[in-house]
Amino acid sequence: MASALPSSSTTPSASDVNSSLSAAEREAIKAATFQRLHPRIYLERFLEEKIRPDGRSTAENIEDPNAWRNVEVNVGSITTALGSALVRIGKTTVVCGIKAEICEPELDNPDEGFLVPNVDLPALCSPKFKPGPPTEEAQVLSERLNEALGNGMLSLSSLCICSGKSAWVLYVDATVINYDGNVFDATLLAMVCALKNVSLPHADFDPELHRTVCTRSETDPSKPARKLAIQEDLIPLAFSFGVFAGSHLLPDPTASEETLLDTYISVILDAHAQVLAVSQLGAGVDNYEALGQGVNNLPSSREADALARCISLAKKRQAVLIKKVYNTST
Amino acid sequence: MQSAFDRRRINGPEDSYHPVFANKIQESPSNVHIIRENRKISDIRPIFLQPGLISQANGSAYIEMESMKIACSVYGPRQSKNTAYNEKGRLNVEVKFAPYSCELRRSPLRDAEDRSIAVAIQQALLSSVQLEHFPKSTIDIFLVIIEADGIEGCIASGSIAASTALADAGIDMYGLVTSCATAVIGTDLWIDPTQEESNTASGTLILSCMPALGIVTNVWQSGRIAPSEILACIDACNDRCTDIHSVVAQALLDSAHNKI
Repeated sequence: MASALPSSSTTPSASDVNSSLSAAEREAIKAATFQRLHPRIYLERFLEEKIRPDGRSTAENIEDPNAWRNVEVNVGSITTALGSALVRIGKTTVVCGIKAEICEPELDNPDEGFLVPNVDLPALCSPKFKPGPPTEEAQVLSERLNEALGNGMLSLSSLCICSGKSAWVLYVDATVINYDGNVFDATLLAMVCALKNVSLPHADFDPELHRTVCTRSETDPSKPARKLAIQEDLIPLAFSFGVFAGSHLLPDPTASEETLLDTYISVILDAHAQVLAVSQLGAGVDNYEALGQGVNNLPSSREADALARCISLAKKRQAVLIKKVYNTST
Repeated sequence: MQSAFDRRRINGPEDSYHPVFANKIQESPSNVHIIRENRKISDIRPIFLQPGLISQANGSAYIEMESMKIACSVYGPRQSKNTAYNEKGRLNVEVKFAPYSCELRRSPLRDAEDRSIAVAIQQALLSSVQLEHFPKSTIDIFLVIIEADGIEGCIASGSIAASTALADAGIDMYGLVTSCATAVIGTDLWIDPTQEESNTASGTLILSCMPALGIVTNVWQSGRIAPSEILACIDACNDRCTDIHSVVAQALLDSAHNKI
């Protein structure tokens, strides 16, 4: 299938090019044109056949792992950052890097350090973003990530160097390189893997000079760098779904599907598949029959609503994904 | 680093500074004697170049040279927002450093360094694109520097990535632009210097050219270099640029084969 619609300014020899294409390529261009002109009908036609445009299945069969895109995680590739991770969910690519700096703790919380997550949606990742200050979407994403990471997974008191005098502040910055839908899941995974990758250098606070001095583990082996005190049980993993036309539940939507959704559901689970947070923006599913088989093979009209189904789908997916996260991010 | 309260981002504490390490040897740059491991003075770092990585863009490229990682995407030709009619298209280059890309954390707000790199890359590419074919249009080139290792390296790798991305987008060009940087350390010319090496250099020079046509598009020199040395630098860079050109051409060819 042709990878991209030819750009609007066609080269002078466009008609010559078209005549030399095979029938399959011409069909592909027609399909791509149809998608650009009538995106909604394009998606509807696919969903009628119980399949999505990229070949995945919809959430009808709860056992089907094919509804989710492939996840790839790569940690520790950025040498200038203390911890880093690159996550790819399908084509969505997010890079997360962590820098640590020293500061004075707040007066109200003298024993706590700081965790500052931020996500950046640069103009590079999608044609809908322009260069400039963070858009509304970026701000909302940053805030949601701040809440997701602030659930106690990382003990802020472990970031304290000297009570009331000196503490670590971890700047967790994520940059989206390719925006192909479901950025929240990818960014949360990247931040979690990057945090697990961090090696914090040993720091001593000198009360006479009022300054903090760090030691590299190579120069002084008695003061080694340490990993962050992360509670493995509370590590969050997010799973997002979309509802199209009130009747089709689409896990892990791509960018082209995202623009057509009326409802967006997000479920965050911890390491033991317990629900940490859910969010539903929109009405949900009207047509229960279209959801297909229920959780316990009951007819779907017995299903409470789309949210319950999403939670059960997320738990199924998490069992598969958690092995990948733990294997690649030690 | 003073972080101004930015209400559009999650903010940390008002004032935080980069950790200071004990046993830091304070020496003036000229006294530091550095040796280059892994490669000769006249060798460039190995290049990994991958076009077409960003599916959302018209054209894209990702370049990696040891510890330098830059992603570039091209959008265009797009409609120009300016109401003034211009016969030739416009080339707009924007560079952004990721906060974790340098040794000291960079604020997400843009500063002068981003701008100067963008101008250098734009100058390198301007003569290679057939802008007369795109009246009233803008071609946007966005670069994100994921990991940086020397400003000269950023400009050189950035222009290689940008030129590859333009080719990947199918934009009409006269030729591929490749760049190479040289640093003068003592009496030697060190090709493709890293941050550490360019700190000890007395002068650096970046050459951008189109090897296929034998045309130089941009020369950027800073520091103190004798005129005879400058000519030697340009010759050394020119040879390297030809080598880089074959790498870029091969990468684009492989990527085109994979698309079919």
